[in-house]
Amino acid sequence: MSTPENVVELRDVDAVFTSGRGRARRVLRAMRGVDLHVAAGETLGLVGESGSGKSTTGAVALGLRRPTSGTVTFLGEPLRRARRRPGAIQAVLQNPHWSLNPRLRVGATVAEPLAARDGRSPNAHRDAVRRMLEQVGLPPDLDARHPHELSGGQRQRVAIARALITEPRFIVFDEAVSALDVSVQAQILNLIRDLQELHGFGSLFISHDLAAVRYVAHRVAVMLRGEIVETAPTSVFYDVPRHPYSRRLLEAT
Amino acid sequence: MKDTATESTTRPRNPVRGALASFDALTLTCAGVLALLTLAAVAGPLAGVGGDPTAIVGPRLAPPSAEYPLGTDSLGRSLLPRVIEGVGTTLVVSAVAVLCTAVISTAGGIVAGYHGGAVNGVVMRIGDVLYAFPAIILAILVASVVGPGRTAALVSIVLVTVPLMTRMVGAAARLVCVRDYVTAARISGVSAPRIMVRHVLTNVSGTVAVQTTYALSVAILVEGGLSFLGYGVQLPASSLGLLIQEGTVYMVKAPWALLAPSVILVLAIVAINVIGDSLRDRFEPRKARSL
Repeated sequence: MSTPENVVELRDVDAVFTSGRGRARRVLRAMRGVDLHVAAGETLGLVGESGSGKSTTGAVALGLRRPTSGTVTFLGEPLRRARRRPGAIQAVLQNPHWSLNPRLRVGATVAEPLAARDGRSPNAHRDAVRRMLEQVGLPPDLDARHPHELSGGQRQRVAIARALITEPRFIVFDEAVSALDVSVQAQILNLIRDLQELHGFGSLFISHDLAAVRYVAHRVAVMLRGEIVETAPTSVFYDVPRHPYSRRLLEAT
Repeated sequence: MKDTATESTTRPRNPVRGALASFDALTLTCAGVLALLTLAAVAGPLAGVGGDPTAIVGPRLAPPSAEYPLGTDSLGRSLLPRVIEGVGTTLVVSAVAVLCTAVISTAGGIVAGYHGGAVNGVVMRIGDVLYAFPAIILAILVASVVGPGRTAALVSIVLVTVPLMTRMVGAAARLVCVRDYVTAARISGVSAPRIMVRHVLTNVSGTVAVQTTYALSVAILVEGGLSFLGYGVQLPASSLGLLIQEGTVYMVKAPWALLAPSVILVLAIVAINVIGDSLRDRFEPRKARSL
């Protein structure tokens, strides 16, 4: 069965989308028999082209989407039950422009997961928020700003602060650096690595950017049309990719 | 919405004046017209301008004069206080109804937008059914059920304006609900009602403001139509629709009785729509839609 040192484990997961009725009915198998696991303190990079099922895998691992079949466990228990412990699982999502509510001050955004967990007002967590902002390399008094006053890199740092503030065991980064400038990307990737060393969370790093994955991931999984075609430690994968599709991906960069 | 200009300019600015200055002259004029109408409707009766609106004071159908600034009606009542009262009735009925519409539509639209799928389908289909009725037929139906009067006018306005406003707020809420910050909040375990208030409501408030304005102009029109047909506000009270209806009877002999309430009705609706357009340009720069 599932080993306890794995924070998240997907076993034989299928996700099927259907649309339309009658002759217009379309069936899309976004995930076919996906097996993957993420250990504490480990980053699993998930790569593949658009439409390969990477983001669906992320949504299933986060409990946002119920798999059609197969099991998802979090710390050895079914994910559905684990979802009742708010803040144990977090995510940093794609678009820095829409990752923060434009109407809320940074402080309120970062405090929100804590407030959701203990039911107190966001203001009660001011000190925790300022400490967290410092940890992600932002000045603490940024908490009074609105998102439109921040740069893309700063916004993504705020999104990371929001994800980390509940000390989660598992974080999904879904194209978390793809929309950023290359120099800012490197800073954010460094930050993710440092914070992981500090907090020991397991993470699923979804990206189509092989260079970014190489930088942060311990292991790499390659997805093609809903299937994981290869999983290997990062160093092995980038030196000797086994699957022909992996080779094609690497050649393309 | 913070005024960033206040930080960069050397001269401290009055925020109210700053906000007013950011609208164009036409919008400000229209706001002025509306403010004037409201002021007249509130202060007029209190100050007793023109006397008792129901008292028979002079000759029938007298033209405007110093004594009767807007003339008299077919019973010899001075028209000025009747028009003032009519503006008040119309504005109050419309405003109360639109407030109800705003609450119902905002709540319905946000719930539909947040849940999507089946919930969205149910809310929108209910809206479609209401929307399928021509406004005035729906209003007559309501009047025949609850009896003609203010209540009928109020309920009719709500039923006529709710479907489109719910649809507009629902569409805006739908867009907000697929934003990453809503997903992130859901992952963090923030409860659905909290997300709807903190994240969705705050981000559709612009749409709500714009659609409420448009709903108000529709409300005034529906109230006018209903009273014109005799299903709305009843005599001896007065409303703009009622006055227009009375005016049409003696249109040839005493055109002033028709002119004054008609002009005011048109002014009010045009003013509200101009303000609505201006708010829309501000809050939804890319979505050009009206009620």
